[in-house]
Amino acid sequence: MIPVLDRPLVQFGLATAAVLILPLVMRSGTLASEILIFGLAVAACNLLLGYTGLLSFGQGIFFGIGSYVAGLGLVRAGLPAPVMLAVSLSVGALVAAVVGWISIRRQGVYFVMLTLAFSQMFYFLAYTFSGITGGDNGFLDIPRPTLVGTRLTDPWTYYAYVAVLFLVLFAALQRVALSTFGRTLLAIRDNEARAGAIGYPVRAFKVAAFAISGAVTAFAGALHAMLIGVAPLSNIDYHTSETLLIMTIIGGSANLFASLLGAGAYLLAADALSAIWPRWLLALGLLLIVITLFLQRGLWGLIERAIVLVTQAPPPDDPARPVVTPPPVAHAPEVAR
Amino acid sequence: MSAPLLATEALGVRYGSFVALQDVTLRIAENSVHSIIGPNGAGKTTLFHALTGRIAPSGGRITLGGRDITRTSDHERVRLGLARSFQVTSLFPTLSVRENLRLAAQGKTPWQALPPWRRTEANRPALAMAEAMLERLDLTRVALRAAGELSHGQQRRLEVGMAMAAAPKVILLDEPTSGMGIDDIAAMTVLIRDLGRDHTVLFIEHNMGIVMNISDTVTVMRAGRVLVEGPPGRVRDDPEVRRAYLGNMITGDLVP
Repeated sequence: MIPVLDRPLVQFGLATAAVLILPLVMRSGTLASEILIFGLAVAACNLLLGYTGLLSFGQGIFFGIGSYVAGLGLVRAGLPAPVMLAVSLSVGALVAAVVGWISIRRQGVYFVMLTLAFSQMFYFLAYTFSGITGGDNGFLDIPRPTLVGTRLTDPWTYYAYVAVLFLVLFAALQRVALSTFGRTLLAIRDNEARAGAIGYPVRAFKVAAFAISGAVTAFAGALHAMLIGVAPLSNIDYHTSETLLIMTIIGGSANLFASLLGAGAYLLAADALSAIWPRWLLALGLLLIVITLFLQRGLWGLIERAIVLVTQAPPPDDPARPVVTPPPVAHAPEVAR
Repeated sequence: MSAPLLATEALGVRYGSFVALQDVTLRIAENSVHSIIGPNGAGKTTLFHALTGRIAPSGGRITLGGRDITRTSDHERVRLGLARSFQVTSLFPTLSVRENLRLAAQGKTPWQALPPWRRTEANRPALAMAEAMLERLDLTRVALRAAGELSHGQQRRLEVGMAMAAAPKVILLDEPTSGMGIDDIAAMTVLIRDLGRDHTVLFIEHNMGIVMNISDTVTVMRAGRVLVEGPPGRVRDDPEVRRAYLGNMITGDLVP
């Protein structure tokens, strides 16, 4: 852990830098927007997995519902995009609160199974009610938002739109993570029984975490539907939940910038690998095995380790160093600062 | 005698067909140190679980300051002034020592912690309480260390401190000296005795030296029932207690 890197301003600075650098180094504005959109959904997933210790397979439900809200809101109801996005936040929060409220009645494996069951249920609901969702074909012809009279059809213009919203929600999530609420979530993750024993109504906190996570995930789903012009059935598929969880783990848990990192790494690797090898998911499986075995703190943990290596550890046989090496304890405070 | 602060009336707990507690009637006087002793399996920890609301009693009543709390939820009892420490250390291992104490102090007003925009700095009393507890427990030096990295003795002190940080009226300590070295036990004894001046302390303990030294009242339990209750001197000399303890007691001598 390097506390400096965990400071909120540093984290936000890193996120802003990423948002500014992506257009300089990437050719596809669509892929860049996708990274930010998934980064947001992964950060929301992190709030449950990394901060609260809840492995939820329900994230795809909220993402998919956000996509359908975009379709129904913009096409059927004719809402302006900002109003539709606000609706997606509230619908996501509401559905997540209900799914969470029921799922947290059980813990551990049974909790995970409940979220999986919900995920299957919502998928088949979307599949069955094709009059509303478009079923297998998805909800088609979702327009891009307009800004001062122009429709944001250009990929990089839409990227800018997404980028601003991404930074606003990223800051909001940071605020949540740093609040008394967020710190209580960490306590629940660490020791749920004790959190209850010292007075916290643990269930209420878990439901609230679900609601916030669901709201942000649905918001990301709505942005995604406007990006690709369709709300596909696959957005509400359990596979989306799985992808979001994998991105969260690749990036690193309990750190919000790590989530953007995880989403970026996954999508860029997928983009590069799928062009040269159709079975690229196999390589992804290997990557996940390596991370789970050796890098439990994800890419973010790897970066932290690299920084510590570069800045702290002197080369062991450096002739310029004095013969008497100070004990490692002497270095500990430097690492801690 | 003044009205008891915490009392039970014919309290019973069953696990299926097994009777863990039966007909337990206790009166814990305000600002006293009251200890519960008894062989393993006597129902001491079960009694604590029932008092704190972790398990529901199958019969009887519990009152706190005259108010019936038999059906009150565990976190609601914390708000009413009941806090406990655990026999097996139960901390937030990856969070700092200061944060552990702050969380425990904040637990008294848990709903204040729910709005996701409110910062910890908003609850000054909780921050001040965490600082005061660090001082009192002699943990200021390690305030920023993760609780899981502390020595066993420090962890046990923090364990008790978490119960104290909620500023409870009644504090329940489940074997506070469990696994401690001699130096740590002495410090803990002083801590518990001081607590008894402004708190009501109910504690389970196997170390008879501590029990006999600092208790105002001792309750001896056996097989889920109260065997004898009284001041330490009388309990020590009770023939029934002597018989109950012979061969049954795992740790601790009856005669200090």
